Amino acid sequence: MTPDSRRVVFIVLFAAVGLIYSLRLFYMQVVDDRWIERAAEVSQKRVSVKPPRGILFDRNGQKIVGNKTYYNLMFIEDRIRDLDTAALAKLLQMEFHEIGERFEAIRRSLDRKTKDKTTGKDTLVNDYRRYMPYAFLSELTSDEIAEIATELPNFPGFYEEPTSMRDYPYPNGGNIFGYLNEISGEELQADRYFYRMGDNIGRAGLERYYEQYLRGRKGTKFILTSARGKVVDNFAGGKLDTHAVQGPPLHLGLDIELQAYGEELMKNKLGCIVAIEPATGEILAMVSSPSYDPNIMVGARNIKKNYNELLVAPNKPLLPRPLASEYPPGSIFKLIQTLIGLQEGVITENSSFPCTQSMVGCHGHPTAQNIQQAVQFSCNPYYYYVTRRIIQQGKKKNAFEDAEVGHRIWEKYMESFGLGFKLETDIFGIRAGRIPNVEFYDRWYGKHRWQWSTIRSNSIGQGEVLLTPLQMANMAVIMANGGWYITPHFVRSIGEEGPLPEFLEKHLTMVDPKYYPGVQEGMRRVVNEAGGTARQARIHDIVVAGKTGTAQNPHGKDHSVFIAYAPFDNPQIAISVFVENAGFGGTWAAPIASLMIEKYLKREVTDFAKEKRIMEANLIE
Amino acid sequence: MSRQRLKSDWDWWLIGIILTLMTLGVINLYSAAYNPERTFLFDISTLYGKQIMWIGMGVFLGAIIALIDSEYIRKLTPAAFAVVLVLLIIVLFSRPINGARSWLGFGSFGIQPSEFAKVTTGLMMAYLIGQGRLKVIPKQTVNLVLLVVFVTMILVLIQNDTGTFLVFSAFFFVMYREGITFDPIILYVLNNLLGLRYRSTWVGVHFIPVLFVVIFFSIVTLYYAESTHSYAFLPGLDVPGWSILLTVLTLLALVIFFLAQQFSAARAKRKILSILLITYISSIALVGTVSFTYIKVLQVHQKDRIDLWLGKLEDKDGKDYNRNRALAAVGSGGFAGNGYHQAVLASPQSNHVPESETDFIFCVYAEEWGFTGSLLLVILFTFLLIRIVIIAERQRSRFARVYAYSVAMIIFYHFAINIGMNIGLLPVIGIPLPFFSYGGSSMMAFSIMFFILLKLDSQRKEVLAT
Repeated sequence: MTPDSRRVVFIVLFAAVGLIYSLRLFYMQVVDDRWIERAAEVSQKRVSVKPPRGILFDRNGQKIVGNKTYYNLMFIEDRIRDLDTAALAKLLQMEFHEIGERFEAIRRSLDRKTKDKTTGKDTLVNDYRRYMPYAFLSELTSDEIAEIATELPNFPGFYEEPTSMRDYPYPNGGNIFGYLNEISGEELQADRYFYRMGDNIGRAGLERYYEQYLRGRKGTKFILTSARGKVVDNFAGGKLDTHAVQGPPLHLGLDIELQAYGEELMKNKLGCIVAIEPATGEILAMVSSPSYDPNIMVGARNIKKNYNELLVAPNKPLLPRPLASEYPPGSIFKLIQTLIGLQEGVITENSSFPCTQSMVGCHGHPTAQNIQQAVQFSCNPYYYYVTRRIIQQGKKKNAFEDAEVGHRIWEKYMESFGLGFKLETDIFGIRAGRIPNVEFYDRWYGKHRWQWSTIRSNSIGQGEVLLTPLQMANMAVIMANGGWYITPHFVRSIGEEGPLPEFLEKHLTMVDPKYYPGVQEGMRRVVNEAGGTARQARIHDIVVAGKTGTAQNPHGKDHSVFIAYAPFDNPQIAISVFVENAGFGGTWAAPIASLMIEKYLKREVTDFAKEKRIMEANLIE
Repeated sequence: MSRQRLKSDWDWWLIGIILTLMTLGVINLYSAAYNPERTFLFDISTLYGKQIMWIGMGVFLGAIIALIDSEYIRKLTPAAFAVVLVLLIIVLFSRPINGARSWLGFGSFGIQPSEFAKVTTGLMMAYLIGQGRLKVIPKQTVNLVLLVVFVTMILVLIQNDTGTFLVFSAFFFVMYREGITFDPIILYVLNNLLGLRYRSTWVGVHFIPVLFVVIFFSIVTLYYAESTHSYAFLPGLDVPGWSILLTVLTLLALVIFFLAQQFSAARAKRKILSILLITYISSIALVGTVSFTYIKVLQVHQKDRIDLWLGKLEDKDGKDYNRNRALAAVGSGGFAGNGYHQAVLASPQSNHVPESETDFIFCVYAEEWGFTGSLLLVILFTFLLIRIVIIAERQRSRFARVYAYSVAMIIFYHFAINIGMNIGLLPVIGIPLPFFSYGGSSMMAFSIMFFILLKLDSQRKEVLAT
């Protein structure tokens, strides 16, 4: 090959490289899909978008739990450049050393214990990532962020991010709504799909119970990001995006004005009010006193500041008394005993028992000639006789064995009245109260070592019987309805869907509805007839039916109890009022109940003297 | 020289291809370096504005060259070479930028002497080879040519600019075309030092085919040099890859030796055996040198690049970030491309592909214009190269021919290496794509390079045949 013919080598070389490169390009760009996938992997990001939580409305359409925008001050460590710590500290009104401590605290908060696969030992793993955003400060108000925002461009790596938090237009109902707080590690493990680190989750009350509705549905956004993670564009013009869907609004049976009024009445008193619409079981008001303004539990900073304070405050404002406190019911318990007696056939409407005060103390009143009068006068000995007939029915010769049989019958009735078990409303933290059963007394006294006379205090709602105020209110509902109830609940409709199915179910008592009118008449007389124990509950143009109770309290002054419903012939509201250490039921609980009833039915209260007396009373020693 | 003749003798094919490439280059840079706040094409604060300025300066310098008679160009060559050589030495004392001392700064304005050295070295080589009138180039000339090339290469290597260093090996191809043989050197070693008696060697003449064989075996060596193998019959022993290569070579040599002993004529036996021995020793030397260089000499990042290219190392988001993003950008262009200004990975806004205005600018082009555009570009470059060969071969002057081949090979190196790394066929070696990559020095150097070629070609008929 002469040098001159070597030109061919060059032409072949150039042509060959041109051909190889063309084929390679054809393969990469046209045949092989791998690089398209890789490009998507590199540049497209899926971002999940959280909707604001569902809103809560009261029965009149008033917004009672809403949302408000707050701001988090975020940072991404990888993007922080030449941080001027002193200037940042000044901007955020923090001490110089606090800046470094805050970074360290965030890093440490992501420590996680895990079992090492090979050694089986607990090892500490840190999930902190330099390229991930974390909140340096969270939940700043719009005023607070406005002060910082103008300076933020001087601190690359820091940026603001809006976040939605709860807002309560009314300072009421703290124990009902519950609050939101940062999700814990275990909760995160339980639902990895929805929650991310730092998300809020319902912690108590309705927020917790309806969490899966209120949180809504997450949306997904596909975006094109730059190499530094900055959003460049929407992917495919946003066609693949799904919108975040806000949780449905919850429509509550609650009447926020009634609730606020109730809280006002209960100021400087310990106890509770529970008002329920009898026909539906919707809770109209649930006052727990003392309570707190739900706004002080919004956001981690507030919770941190206020939670412990509330926890140690006197009289336990965090305790939802209507659900979680168990009290002896006192005389209101007699209503049920009457009904059981009638159903069991051990008494009739016109049974009369003497007011034998040697058996148990009573207050001076004529002898009850029938059940109406027994209820009206709230005669203690009368109910001793009634319950003795229920417990000792003579089905066994031995009195002790007979008491066991009778007591078993009695327990069944109690359960049908919603007593002795958790009345599963839509708030957590509910308690069962206590209806002692045969086993309870066997443990206490020994088998066949007790009979009616041993446990006779139960007849008048003392002894071992305990009820929650919610159960008491439910008892008023049963009286109003004449023999049935729907489990009391707050949410009458989830969006347009109506309430949860269990809140549509009617529960019947074991007492035939035909026996109710007599007792109802007795309750009417309690309030409206001379000799009734709750004359203070009278409203001049509304017929209220009720029953007082005075629960003896071995630790101090008696508790004042009253249950009622109104109007008598078309009950719209059933109510229980329980005032701790206030004395006679007719003195405090009854007028409070009547004020609530009037407020609810007429939207305003006309008996100013009564209102004034209650509002001004301070019953906390 | 009449005006008409001057016009008719310019190679309009070459001019056409170059203008097309330059236009495509500017259009592409307008997308690759797009600044939404400064959309004016001639805005001097943007890279495209600057690039147009560089083209203008290149054309201006080229126009001056076009006015010089080609004979003067030839005569000025040693001076030009000397000036650039001095600059190459001065630049060694500059402050390193990205690890390489290749920038000579004048205030905010900097040039890379090594880019211009490509032109002057080509000219100088042409000057030296063109001096002789004989077909066979004298030994002395060969030594001078080698000296010129090696000195320049070494200076560039000291700068730590590996890419440009590699480009200078293009001149060996030109030597091959001119029939330069390394026989004198090889024969000196064989006959005087080893006491053999050869009159010529095939290797000395055909060093370019040999080069390809060497490259092939080097790649094989790179592939196995560092790996370790274990065998059932050698329990508990990790055998390094290079020792296996040596064993295979030795076994192969023994087999050939045995066959030669058995079947060759007695007269040829001695010759075959000595060739075998020399080949064997050279092969071992090659494997040894490549392994040693690869394992001990190369800097870590250079070694990583080779490993990533060979697929021995996978680190998509770390060490292989640049190459991986570049391949994804090219590959995601598809058949028709994303459209102008529609690059997703390589766009300056998303910036997934680093250096997308310079070394990886092909990514922007390939992502936006797809296979159709890429194919057009490859065809344009291939045509350009072949056209230069045609031009070279029609020169009467040896000076012009050698220079034309130098231009062809330098363009070829830039094209092959740059696009080769953008499509994953070659490891990442940072050299610009002519007319596309942003860069003042390279843009001006390429402009001057082509103007000289065009000028020499336009006056080809005035030269007496050598």
